[in-house]
Amino acid sequence: MPMINVIEPGLQTTVQDLGRPMHQINGFPASGAMDQQALQVGNLLVGNSPYAAALEFSLTGPTLRFMATTFIALTGAEFHAQLNDQPVKGYRCLQVHTGDVLKIGPAVKGRIGYLAVAGGLHLPLVLDSRSTTLRLKLGGLNGRALLSGDRLPIEAKPTLVSYYHRHAPLPELPDLEQPIKIRVLKGPQWDKFAEEDQQRFLSGTYTVTNQSDRMGYRLKGDVMETKQESMLSSATVMGGIQVPANGEPIVLMADRQTTGGYPLLAVVATVDLAKLVQCRPKQRIEFELIELDAAQELLRQQQAALKELHRRIKKARYQMPYGITREASQRIQRLFKE
Amino acid sequence: MTSYQIIPVGDQALAIEFANRIDPVVNRHLQQIGRRILKQHLSAVKTIIPAYRTLAVAFDGSQISFAELKQQLQPLIEESMNAPLPPSKTWLIPVCYGGEYGPDLKDVARFASLSTAEVIKEHTAQSYLIYFLGFLPGFAYMGSVDQKIAMPRLEQPRLEIPAGSVGIAGEQTGFYPVASPGGWRIIGQTPLKLYDEKNPASFYHAGDSVRFFAVDEEEFQRIQLADRLGKYQVKAVTSDADD
Repeated sequence: MPMINVIEPGLQTTVQDLGRPMHQINGFPASGAMDQQALQVGNLLVGNSPYAAALEFSLTGPTLRFMATTFIALTGAEFHAQLNDQPVKGYRCLQVHTGDVLKIGPAVKGRIGYLAVAGGLHLPLVLDSRSTTLRLKLGGLNGRALLSGDRLPIEAKPTLVSYYHRHAPLPELPDLEQPIKIRVLKGPQWDKFAEEDQQRFLSGTYTVTNQSDRMGYRLKGDVMETKQESMLSSATVMGGIQVPANGEPIVLMADRQTTGGYPLLAVVATVDLAKLVQCRPKQRIEFELIELDAAQELLRQQQAALKELHRRIKKARYQMPYGITREASQRIQRLFKE
Repeated sequence: MTSYQIIPVGDQALAIEFANRIDPVVNRHLQQIGRRILKQHLSAVKTIIPAYRTLAVAFDGSQISFAELKQQLQPLIEESMNAPLPPSKTWLIPVCYGGEYGPDLKDVARFASLSTAEVIKEHTAQSYLIYFLGFLPGFAYMGSVDQKIAMPRLEQPRLEIPAGSVGIAGEQTGFYPVASPGGWRIIGQTPLKLYDEKNPASFYHAGDSVRFFAVDEEEFQRIQLADRLGKYQVKAVTSDADD
């Protein structure tokens, strides 16, 4: 079977797909991609099903050698990626050949990136998912982050329809210089907090700390002072903002525990989740309330955009140029237009 | 009928909430509601997560609104709450109590003003409902232990509790499938391998019951060996849980 050889693993590179939500009932973290939007776009660009597994990397990406001809796409954060020492762009499909070296390097903007490969990474399903849960040594490549010398099984894909048209708009990534706005819904325990705390949360600026990982992002800022009576544990959600006894909010992420006993003050609107996931340490955040109906409307729009991208790529198979060999002609055509 | 409310948890989940207390009957109804929701195969429903008195339903918020899903679920909930509860499965779990297996057994006995043998007798005298699995894969939140032995958590949690440890935290009892930090009072250990990353699905589920039985150290070693070789079959009886 063709492989991707890992030359440098990056800071923390794991295999992720859409996770194993159905197994939360038995206490397994959902896991899966932190930025599900970016993963889905990546899979779309290389012609994969939404359930295909890709590589997820944080802050510094891996260096990889491809041992087959196939197609890849880089999505999520912006990296200074180089293919055989030539700079390559994210959010478009790229062809790679046997022996090609992709060096992803450090992130320029944002935090978490994805490398989708045509056909997906061929690793075994564990509880219906190829996602890695590091804490439990579960899924992915032997339940751990990549190491130098690892080999990831893929399939060779010499052609891909509508190759030239496989590109997507770049997402908006948080900028360390500017505080970003994150829209939140009132959490199930919102009313258990004093009004001063609710105000503090909405008017303050919070900073993402170094203690942020796939389980949760810890925030520094105005501390919630309301003392909570102990709560019976209940289910957690991605983007849930829980307030533990010390009063400092934690945003729950992909590897969160399935249930928890801390009150959920607020929940990040799904439409803004990717933006929050892409925040590096020191990023400043301001929270803003949004109503449920409005949040769901924005979510519908976001999903519609993804469907539109899918439709556009599918339709493009009937547009010139048809194959990868026609890329040069397309470039020439464009030069004439300009 | 028991009252409940349905509240949103963000834009892609809702919680069916019952009164704020631990009640085995409410929880068994909640498990039944969960099973019925899954049986409907609603395309927008992504998963369910039961806890003590809440059932979370995660859904695709771009496919269905909170209000629509709430409306769809209501008749299903009422119907399941009025239906008789099915018999539940009770798993028989061997435990070696005290000594190095249960470093807190003596403290629990002191707390209860009982002998260690009497604590073991209390702990094995009834079956416990698995209210839900959470915190770790296969970590079963069970209850309720007799008030006498319901000792609160340690003030300072231990850094590592060995896999298989059986503990008490207030009226809750449970076991640790994997080694982890924790503050429960450890009174014993089961020789069973409760979590295996190569075969991670657990044999017991929320809504089942567990009854512990005491084994001595020799029996512990024997079961452990048999279990590791795949030759130990955990016994189960089907009966109504001792509510």
